[in-house]
Amino acid sequence: MAARLRHARWLVYIYFRCLGQQMKAILAYEADFVILMISAGLVQITGFLFIWTIFQRIPDINGWTFWQVVMMYSLIFITEGVGSLFFEGTWRVSRLIYNGNFDQMLLRPVSPIVQVLAADVGFNGLGNIITGGVLMLIALGNVQVQWTPGRLLMLAILIVSAATIRVAINLGTAASAFWIRTPWSMVPFFVHQLGEFAKYPITIYSMAVQALVVVAIPFAFVSFFPTAYLFNVEAWSALGLLTPLVAVYCLLVAVWVFRRGLSRYESTGH
Amino acid sequence: MHGLNKYFAIAKASLEVIFVYRAGFTVNLIGSVFYVVAMFYLWQTIFLVKPGALGVFTWPEMKAYLIVAFILNSTMTWFDESSMGQDVREGRVAIDLARPIDFQLKRFAEATGPVPFELISAVAIGAVVAFVFGGIALPADPVHLALFIVSAALATLLKFSIIYCVSMTAFWTTGMQGVSNARMAVQNIFSGALIPLVFFPDWLRGLASVLPFQGMISTPALTYLGAMDGPTTAFMIGTQAVWAFGLLLCGRLLWRSAVKAVTINGG
Repeated sequence: MAARLRHARWLVYIYFRCLGQQMKAILAYEADFVILMISAGLVQITGFLFIWTIFQRIPDINGWTFWQVVMMYSLIFITEGVGSLFFEGTWRVSRLIYNGNFDQMLLRPVSPIVQVLAADVGFNGLGNIITGGVLMLIALGNVQVQWTPGRLLMLAILIVSAATIRVAINLGTAASAFWIRTPWSMVPFFVHQLGEFAKYPITIYSMAVQALVVVAIPFAFVSFFPTAYLFNVEAWSALGLLTPLVAVYCLLVAVWVFRRGLSRYESTGH
Repeated sequence: MHGLNKYFAIAKASLEVIFVYRAGFTVNLIGSVFYVVAMFYLWQTIFLVKPGALGVFTWPEMKAYLIVAFILNSTMTWFDESSMGQDVREGRVAIDLARPIDFQLKRFAEATGPVPFELISAVAIGAVVAFVFGGIALPADPVHLALFIVSAALATLLKFSIIYCVSMTAFWTTGMQGVSNARMAVQNIFSGALIPLVFFPDWLRGLASVLPFQGMISTPALTYLGAMDGPTTAFMIGTQAVWAFGLLLCGRLLWRSAVKAVTINGG
C-alpha cells in the first residue's frame, strides 16, 4: 500500500515536471500567451452577451432564471479551462499515434496516461478559468441560498467532479485514436461538440437529447445537475449529489478504454 | 482568361484535399450541427412560452434565420489564420514570393475551392434539421431569393477579406490560434451568428452596424427573409460590397508592407 502511494505521488510529481516544461515552452512566446488569454476571455464575453440578450426579452427559460443559466455557462467554461490548462495533451493523442511518436511514451518508465495528460498546455484555459470564475461568483451572489460550510465544500466537490467528467470524456474519446487513425482528434472533437447541449437547462430538450447528455455522455453532470443542486431546484437537485459518483465512473471507464487501446497499439513506424 | 487557369488549378487541388479528408470533414460538420440543434431547442422553448419574444420574427422565420446562419458559417471552415501562420513560420511564404502568382488570388483560390462542396453538405444537413423541426420559412418571392444569393456570395467574399486581413498578423506574431479565436468571437457576436442583431440593445446594435461583420450573416439572412424594405436591402448589400472589396484592398496593402518586414528579416 505504502509503495503504491509512493508511486502515485511520484506520478503526480512527474506529471507536473512534464507540464512545467510545456509551460516554459509556451511562455517563451509571451505575446502568444497574452493573445490566447485575451481570445479565451472574448469567447466567453460573447457567450455571456448572448444569454444576457435573450434574457432581456424573457424572464426565464422553462422556469430557469438568468443567473442559473449563467451558472451552467460558467461551469462549462471553468471545466473547459481546467481541461485546456492541465490536460490539453489529450488532444494530442491522435497526432502522436498517427505520426508514430507515441512510441516514445511507451519507452519511458512512466504511465502513458500521465504522459499524455501532460503532453501539452493550453494557456487559453487560464483565460477560461478566470472569466468563468468571475461569472460563477456573480451568479452565486445572486442566489438566495444560505452559504454554510457544508454547501461551500459541496461547491468545491462539484467543480472538481465536473472538471473530472470533462477530462475523462476527453481522455476516453482520445483513446479512439488507437482504433481509428486520423491526424486530428476526430472522435474527441465530435463528442466535445455534444457539450453544446450542456450550456442550457436540459429540460428544453426532447427525451432523446436528454438521454444522450445524461446517460450516454454525461455532460449534464458538468453543468446542469450541479447548478440544480446549488440553486436548490427541487425537481433536480437530488441528482446533483450524484455528480462525484458520475465523475469516478467516467474516470474509470476512460482509463479502462485507454488501457484497452494501449494493449492493441501498433506503431505506425518511422 | 489563360492567366486565371493556374488559380483554378489551385482551387481544384484545395477541393481535393477536402475529399481526401472527407471523413474528418463530415464529422466536423455534423459536430457543428449539435450547436444548431441546441439553438433550435432554446429558441423553440422561448417561442412557445412567449411568442412575442422574438419581436419581428415568427417561429418559422427564426428557424430559417438559424439554418441560413448555419449554412453561411459552414463555408471556408478550413481556411483560417493558422495556415497563414504556418506558412510564415515554416518559411513557405518565401516560396510563394518566388512564384509567378498573385498571393491574395492564390489564397482566394485555396479558400473558395472547397466552398461548393461545403455548401452542398451544409444545405443537405440544414434541410434535415429544418425537416425535423417542422420546416422553415422560404423566401416570400423570387426577388428575395435572387438578392439573397447575391448577398450570400458577398458574405463569403467578405469572410475571405476579413480572414485574409487578420491572417497578415502572422508576420508580427506566432500566436495565430489566439488571433483566430479572437476574430471568431468578435465575428460570432457582431455578424448575427449567435443572435439576430435586432434583439440587441441600441448601443450594441449601433456598434454592430458600423462593423463589417454584419455582412457575413445578418444581411444575407434578413435578405432571405425579406425582412428589410427595398431601399434598405439595397443599402445593406451595397455596404457588404464596400466592406468586402475595401478589405480586399486593405489586405493587399497589408501584404505589401508585411513582405517588406520579411525581407528585412532576410527570410
